Amino acid sequence: MLPFFPLDMFAPHREEILRLVREAGTSNRFILKDNCARLEEELRRRTGAGDVIACASGTGALQLALKALGIGPGMEVIVQAFCCQPVASAVVNLGATPVFVDVDPRTMVMSPACVEERITERTRAILPAHLFSCMVDMPAIREIARRHDLLVVEDAAVQQGASLHGVPAGRWGHVGAFSFFQIKVLGAIGEGGAVLTDDPDLARACRMLRNHGQDGVTRFRHHLLGYNCRMDEIIAGWLLYRLPALEGELQRRARIGEYYNERFAALGEQLVTPPRGREGRCYYIYSLQTERRDEFRAYLESKGIGSHVYYPLPLPRQPAFAAFASPRDRLPNAERASRRNVAIPAYPTLRDSEVEYIADTVVKFFR
Amino acid sequence: MQVPFYDGRKSFEELWPDLQARLDALIQRGKYSHGMMVAELEKAIQRFTGARYAFGCNNGTDALILLLRAAGVGPGDEVIVPCFTFFATASSVAHALARPVFVDVDPVSYTMSPEAVRRAVTPRTKAIMPVHLFCQMADMTALKQVSEATGVAILEDSAEAIGMWYGGTHAGLHGRGGVLSFFPTKTLGALGDAGMILTNEPAVAELANVLRHHGRVGGTIDNMPGISNPARVSGTNSKMDDIQAAVLLTRLGRLEADVARRAALARRYDERLAALGDHVTRPRVAQRAEPTNAVFYVYLIEAERKSELVAYLKQHGVETEEYYPFPLHLQPCFAELGYRPGDFPVAERACARTVALPLYPDLTNEAVDHVCDTIADFYANARGPR
Repeated sequence: MLPFFPLDMFAPHREEILRLVREAGTSNRFILKDNCARLEEELRRRTGAGDVIACASGTGALQLALKALGIGPGMEVIVQAFCCQPVASAVVNLGATPVFVDVDPRTMVMSPACVEERITERTRAILPAHLFSCMVDMPAIREIARRHDLLVVEDAAVQQGASLHGVPAGRWGHVGAFSFFQIKVLGAIGEGGAVLTDDPDLARACRMLRNHGQDGVTRFRHHLLGYNCRMDEIIAGWLLYRLPALEGELQRRARIGEYYNERFAALGEQLVTPPRGREGRCYYIYSLQTERRDEFRAYLESKGIGSHVYYPLPLPRQPAFAAFASPRDRLPNAERASRRNVAIPAYPTLRDSEVEYIADTVVKFFR
Repeated sequence: MQVPFYDGRKSFEELWPDLQARLDALIQRGKYSHGMMVAELEKAIQRFTGARYAFGCNNGTDALILLLRAAGVGPGDEVIVPCFTFFATASSVAHALARPVFVDVDPVSYTMSPEAVRRAVTPRTKAIMPVHLFCQMADMTALKQVSEATGVAILEDSAEAIGMWYGGTHAGLHGRGGVLSFFPTKTLGALGDAGMILTNEPAVAELANVLRHHGRVGGTIDNMPGISNPARVSGTNSKMDDIQAAVLLTRLGRLEADVARRAALARRYDERLAALGDHVTRPRVAQRAEPTNAVFYVYLIEAERKSELVAYLKQHGVETEEYYPFPLHLQPCFAELGYRPGDFPVAERACARTVALPLYPDLTNEAVDHVCDTIADFYANARGPR
C-alpha cells in the first residue's frame, strides 16, 4: 500500500527524536528558549524576512497576525471560499466577518479578479492562501490592497520554499504565516508555526501576543490581550535538525510533480492537472481535478494507492460559516473544485518506481 | 548552594526507560499530534479524575477559551473571575468575546470571595469562574449556593488543581466543566505546553471536542484523513502533541507519590519558617464545609519587604517566582474595563507581599533548609532602614 499520508516518514529519525526529548527533560529548558531563537534566526536568514516569530501552529500564526493588525468586530476580511477552515475561523474568532470570494478554476487559489467587487468600507484585510502546489497571484493582490489601502495577510502555510519573482512565499503581505504541521514540507514531530513580517511594530506585537501579552522584560505584566501560542524546544530543535534537508526535498517533490504533469498531459480535459513550472510553486500536495473522482479514488484504492480529498465543501457551505454566506457570493469555481479535487501521493520519500507505478495507474484509469 | 525554582532532571532520568518505550510506540504509529497517545492520556485522566469526558488541548489557556465557548459564553456575556490569579483566567473570557468581571479574593486561601461573587451577578452574567490555585480549592460549597440562587453556571479554572478533591469530586467537575494545565512545572507537567478540558456534560463535551480541531465533525483523533472533515463551528487548532502526551502518561504513574513528596516538603517549609514569626506568613489551608485536600503545587508565602527578600534569596542562589505581582483588574490590557487601584484591596495587598518558594518532587530536604536558613538570615541581619 502506498498511503496518502506518509506517517512513517520520521521513523528513520528515531535517534534524533529521543535525543530532543532527553535534551528537554535533562536541561529544564522547555518553551521559547535557545532552540526557538535559533530557529527564528535561521528562518530570517533563509527568507530574508525582517522578523520571524515561532509559535504553536500555522493557525496560531494567522490568529497572532490578525490580532496584531487590530482585526475585530465590525471589520471584514476577504478570504477564499475553497480553503482550509483557519482562514475563516481566525477571522470569526476575533468577532470580524469573513467575506468569501471565488478561486481560479485551474490553480484553485484566490482569484484576484474576484476580490475587488467585494471590497466595502468595512474591509480591512485580504487573506490570500496558497494551496497544494500553487501560490496566489500575489502581485495582483498586493496591487488591489495598495489601491484600496488594505492589509494583506499571506497564508503561506503550505508554500514554504516557493518564490515568485524572487520573493519567497510568506513575504508578500504585511504579515505571512508558515505551518510546520507534520505533513507540511517542513513538518514537525508535533504542532508548530511561524509569523513572518518586515514591520518591527507588528513583529513586537506578535511576539507579545504569543506569550500572554507580556513584553519579555516584566513577568506577569500583560500589555496586550495575548494568547498562549508558543513553540516548545523539542519542536524548534527538530525543525533546526530538518531544515538542511528541506531544499533537497523540495527539489524531489518538484521532480515528482513535473513527472506527473508530463505523464498526465496526454489525458486531456478529463483530468485537470496543476500548471507546469516552478515559478510561484512548491509541490507540497499534488492535486488533480476530475468529474469521476469517486470512481477514480476507488480504482486507486484497489491498486494499493491512497488519495485524499482536501476540501469537500466550500467554507460558506459548512455549518460553521453558513452565517457568513452572502447573496453576493458567486463561487462556481469553489463549488466545482470542491466536487472534483483529489490529491495523490507526491512526498519526497516515494521511490522512483513507486512514482512511476502511481502515474501508470492514473493513466490506465483514464485511458 | 543553588536552588532553582524548578528542576525535574532527576525524576526525568527515573522515568526515561518507560518514556522511551512510549516514544517508540508513538514513532511506530507516526501521528505526532491529536493521536493515539493523546487518546490514551484522555482515558487515563478520565479514570484519575472521574470525569466523563476529557479532551487534550495545546495548553491550559486554550482549554479555558474553548471551555467557555463550548458552554455558550460569547459576545454580551459577563463572566465573574477573581483578580488575583494567572492572566488566562480573565484573558480566556475576553478571547471568548465576553467581558471579565473581577471580584476580590479571600485573604486566607486567595480564592474568589463567594460574597463578592454574589454581589457581582447581573442579568448578563453567564458564568462564575472560580480558580483553585497554589494549594487549595475555592469555597465550592458557598459558590454552588450562589450558583443555585442565581441560576448562573460554574466553570472552573482548575488548571493548577490536578489531585484536588472537594466533597468527593475532583476539581473541574463541580459545575459545567473545568480545565487542566500540563505546563512543565505543574504538579503533572509535560516538557512543553499541553492542557485538557474536563466535563461531565454531553453538550459541552460535544462542542469542546470539535472546537479544538477546527470545529471539524466526525472522527479526528488518531485519524489523519479527518483533517478535511467539514466544520460545524468556528474552531481553532488546539491539538496536543503526542510527545507531550507520552511524557504525561509516563508521569501519571507517579503522580500520587509526587503529591505526597510535595506535601512533605511543604511541611518541612512550615516547620522551618514557623520560627520567623510575623515576618513570614505561611500558606494556610482554609476550612471548608465539605472535606477537601491540599495539593502543594506552589508554596506561597507572604513576606515583609518582599522585593528585598527576593533579591537577597537570589544573591544566595535561591530562585523564586512572584505569583502574582500585579492584580488582573489593573493590567494594561484591561484598562478599558475601568477598574482603579483600591477596588480590590485584598488582592492588591497580596500582590505586594506574596512570593513562591521552590517546590517540586526533586527538591531535596537540604535545599529546603538552605532556603529557610537564607530567609532567616535575611530577617536577622538585614535590618537596615525600611
